Amino acid sequence: MNQRPIANFELCTGELLGGVRKRIRLSPLDQPSNYKDSQTRVDRQKQNDLLSKSTTLYIGNLSFYTTEEQIYELFTKCASPEDGGGIKRIIMGLDRNTRTPCGFCFVEYYTHAEALASMRYVSGTKLDERIIRCDLDLGYKEGRQFGRGKSGGQVRDEHRQDYDPGRGGWGAQAQRLEIERRREVEERYADAQDGPGAVAGGGGDWKEAETSGNESRLKRGRSPEDEGDSMRLGQRSRLDEDVDAERM
Amino acid sequence: MSYDRPYRGGGNRRRHRDDYDDRRRDTYESPADKLKNAIIRFGEVDVLEELPRLEKQIRESTPHVIPNLSEAFRIAVTEQPYKIPYYAALLRRLHDSPEEDAGDTSDISSLGKQILEDFWKGFQAYLDKLAWRETRLCIHFFAHLAVAKLIATDSLFGLLQSFTAVLEEFGVSHGRAKKAAVCAAEGLMIAGPALKSTSAEHVQEIINAIQAYNDTVTSPKLLVGPVLKLYSDEVSSNADELLDTVLQTLRILDESDFAETASSFSQPYTGYEDPDPATFTPYNLPSVLVPPEVIELDGLSTDSGEDAQVKKEEWPEYFLPLFDNDITPDPKTPAGYAVHTGLFDILDIFEVNRKECARLLLEYPKWTISGTFKPKPGGEVVPEPVPGKDWQLESTIIENILGAYMVLPESSHKSIYYISLITELCKLSPSTVGPAVGKSIRKLYSMLGDGLDVEVARRFAEWFAVHMSNFGFQWVWKEWIPDLSLAVQHPKRAFMRRALEFEIRLSYHDRILKTLPAEMQAPEGNTISEQAPGPDFEYDDPAKPHHDNAQSVLNLFRGRAKAEDVISHLETLKTSLETSDDGGLVNADVLIRSIAIQSLLHIGARSFSHLLNAIERYLPLLRNIASGGVSSAGGSGNAEAKADILTASAAFWKHNRHMVAIVFDKLMQYQIVDPTDVVGWTFINRAEIRELVEATGPLSLSAFEWDLLKGALDKANGRVMIARRKVVVLRKEEDDTRARVKASGGADGMDVDAEEKAEDESPAVDSPALTTALKAFASLTREQKGAMSRTLDGFVSCLAPAATDSNPNPYSRVVISEDGWNERAGWEKDQWNAWETWGWYRQFCRSYAPYLRNYSTTLSTVSFAKFEGSTDPAAELLKKTWNVATGQE
Repeated sequence: MNQRPIANFELCTGELLGGVRKRIRLSPLDQPSNYKDSQTRVDRQKQNDLLSKSTTLYIGNLSFYTTEEQIYELFTKCASPEDGGGIKRIIMGLDRNTRTPCGFCFVEYYTHAEALASMRYVSGTKLDERIIRCDLDLGYKEGRQFGRGKSGGQVRDEHRQDYDPGRGGWGAQAQRLEIERRREVEERYADAQDGPGAVAGGGGDWKEAETSGNESRLKRGRSPEDEGDSMRLGQRSRLDEDVDAERM
Repeated sequence: MSYDRPYRGGGNRRRHRDDYDDRRRDTYESPADKLKNAIIRFGEVDVLEELPRLEKQIRESTPHVIPNLSEAFRIAVTEQPYKIPYYAALLRRLHDSPEEDAGDTSDISSLGKQILEDFWKGFQAYLDKLAWRETRLCIHFFAHLAVAKLIATDSLFGLLQSFTAVLEEFGVSHGRAKKAAVCAAEGLMIAGPALKSTSAEHVQEIINAIQAYNDTVTSPKLLVGPVLKLYSDEVSSNADELLDTVLQTLRILDESDFAETASSFSQPYTGYEDPDPATFTPYNLPSVLVPPEVIELDGLSTDSGEDAQVKKEEWPEYFLPLFDNDITPDPKTPAGYAVHTGLFDILDIFEVNRKECARLLLEYPKWTISGTFKPKPGGEVVPEPVPGKDWQLESTIIENILGAYMVLPESSHKSIYYISLITELCKLSPSTVGPAVGKSIRKLYSMLGDGLDVEVARRFAEWFAVHMSNFGFQWVWKEWIPDLSLAVQHPKRAFMRRALEFEIRLSYHDRILKTLPAEMQAPEGNTISEQAPGPDFEYDDPAKPHHDNAQSVLNLFRGRAKAEDVISHLETLKTSLETSDDGGLVNADVLIRSIAIQSLLHIGARSFSHLLNAIERYLPLLRNIASGGVSSAGGSGNAEAKADILTASAAFWKHNRHMVAIVFDKLMQYQIVDPTDVVGWTFINRAEIRELVEATGPLSLSAFEWDLLKGALDKANGRVMIARRKVVVLRKEEDDTRARVKASGGADGMDVDAEEKAEDESPAVDSPALTTALKAFASLTREQKGAMSRTLDGFVSCLAPAATDSNPNPYSRVVISEDGWNERAGWEKDQWNAWETWGWYRQFCRSYAPYLRNYSTTLSTVSFAKFEGSTDPAAELLKKTWNVATGQE
């Protein structure tokens, strides 16, 4: 049934490169970085495949104090709700031990185009007075919300030698304002859990309301849909394996 | 503002990381690629000097692979339009016979001509796809070639006329007509000197055709001008409409027989000798037809048989000038138009890479005629300033970016693109771009209160906040202190509040408060909230009524009780409230809903993720509440209960409008409430929460309420879009499956007649998946129509209230009269509220026009029924605006 193999191929490559056909001069900002986890078992081809449809972004170089609402505000500017899009969820990267933000997060949209728009327009601009960086991501999977550095945070902060007040580089010199923000931040995720269902799904596509819930459920028997969105997502995201939450 | 120290990064490691996206992957270049790249990169250092070198390189790369060369020209012309005149010059040189062959009289056509002939095929392909931008830029190229005498002028006329022919098509859409007209007009501007000397008559025909079309487009202009006069049918003269601009430019050029073309568009080829007429015949462009627009027929329609297809109409396009004509060019003049369209093309083409775009914009003067822009200070050669030009580059760039950003009803790219582009420019050249940005902000600010469109004002606030967020929130707020004496809802004060609110969303309250002078920090300044915008749990205070009840619910949530346990606890609570000693509550349901929703939001108040977790964990509870307590009730729930959910949510976040919008969005996402509920609530119930709304008092809408409406309408539209796509995919899959079955069905599968017979025998039955998808599409379309209808009704009751309506705004009619508008210096809160509400009604009609058109008859019949025979000016304006937007006027 491949009626137009050549055209189809062109379309695929075009999409892979961010919906813009490959140009010699014009290089779009929405291409994924060369990041490749050395441990991953997903090969480059498969990874590119996933990235060409990805709705998830990895956001790096965040201040530890930046809130999800700040992230939501900035990334909403790339959303296309009229096209069925929007921000599905935000997963804040946390220090494994202290359960406090450690400077990265995932933003998941409903559509791929929105993720590309963020690459083009938001990556490399400031949020909370830091230049943040976006990268297309293979999709959140359980456990990826935690830092993988030795001390619980991101690997990059393990080796960082400069003083960076926004990323935990505070102490006696900390500014008064930041102490207040710090207190809030430290408490905010104290209840963070891991394991299945710890992270909200964010709401799926519109579904016709069930008229008599119990009956139809019995008839259908168990299906993944009955578990709610978070479970379904959990299963879906198990596609990729061993993709490190960290990238330098 | 100071941009002196933009981005002092941290360590080198980080800097490296931030630049990751500038990395280019090295790939192997074949000789053909190398030549192609040389052609595309032509002129990066000194274009005139490179010209003979590149010509030589092309000639020497034998054998000549014409398709490779013409492709390079095509890419260059369509992606780097600022270089088109130089590519024309290059092609002109390639038409000459090389010196060593001078004696050779063979009739093999020149290299240049072969490239041109092959280039034409590419143009034809762009045209077939209706790739308008590429088509138009190729026409630029042909126009230059006509002046360089490589193309026969008659054939160029023919080409331009096929575009003006589009203007006479029956029922042509404005978008198509506008693009075709600009193709013809720009071709004429550039080739005018050659064309007019051939036939002044033909030139007149082209201008007349565009004029005749433009004369038919009067009423839509009323809705999209960036500066409005509600009382008048005249379009404000403060802004320039694209086709008006084009026509004025053409007139000026025509009057002087296109003498000004030479001072407006670079013509590096004019010094060349004319080709020898004895041996050279100019290329005759083949004649073309602009193909008709493709109409997607997916056969999906709504229940009522109305076509639900959404076609984004294009409106007349206004450009809002910010500076005087001696600072930035006036697009209504030939030289000004050339700069304007040149910059717009760069903005559009380089949308994929804003960093590259910023660099090219700042380099733009190198492609223009010397003297167009003021020279950079410290340059080696200072050219003589050209009278009437000598413009400021940075102001021109910013004015054009903002002009593109402010186009109504929506800009061609996302707002954030234009915003980030300006940020990039400021990073590249802080000392020159910074002041231009500051001046633009002051100019836009000065227009507030003098009719600047509400949507333009909203985008201004959005740009302002994001821009400040990128540059340390450094704005000299104190210069606006005197404006604190204006009415609290005056557009200038509304702008200050909005901009600060947006800044806080991107940062945090204390940080932004610090940037303000004392007068604005003070509560009586009414500019920024005193406190950080936190949640407000109504039952938190032990002294408040129902504190204990709320605590009991809260404890269940905290202990992660099962949803059904919470439901039964709420039922017990309700019974005890109804039967309590103090006579029981009039409406215990409302209270129970408020306690439950506020407690749940309290659990989810820590972050967006906490909110999602709370909602997801208690979806059965939320559904139970939304259904009015009738367990297992399906369908769309109970309208009153859903309004109570929204009220409780808004009350909880009354100090934080951002969170109200987020909670509403997610309640819609999880199908606890429907878009129609949010629309209804926004018009009716939100007035109950005084802290939340600027527009307290009589019914009216401010930007915040508009955002809620927009959120709901976009949600409804987005769902229809998803459902439509799903149906299309499923249909295609089924068609493919059937075709496959048929193909493998027998030896006569290839026989057309046999296939048709087979179809007759087994009528297509939709799969269960497709049936479900079609059902969902029908439900969602109904919901979409409901949301639109509710919005229209809401506006009607705000803007043309009957005296008997509850809380009517007495000024909704005054503000649309000329006398009323002229007295705006004395307007108070209610007048400005009424004026702003009219503004949002216009925005509703024009931005949702593609959707509204599908339902225009039914919606207007219902909503406007009460105006039958009325001469109420408010009713008149409501109907007129509606009719213009839906194409009935």
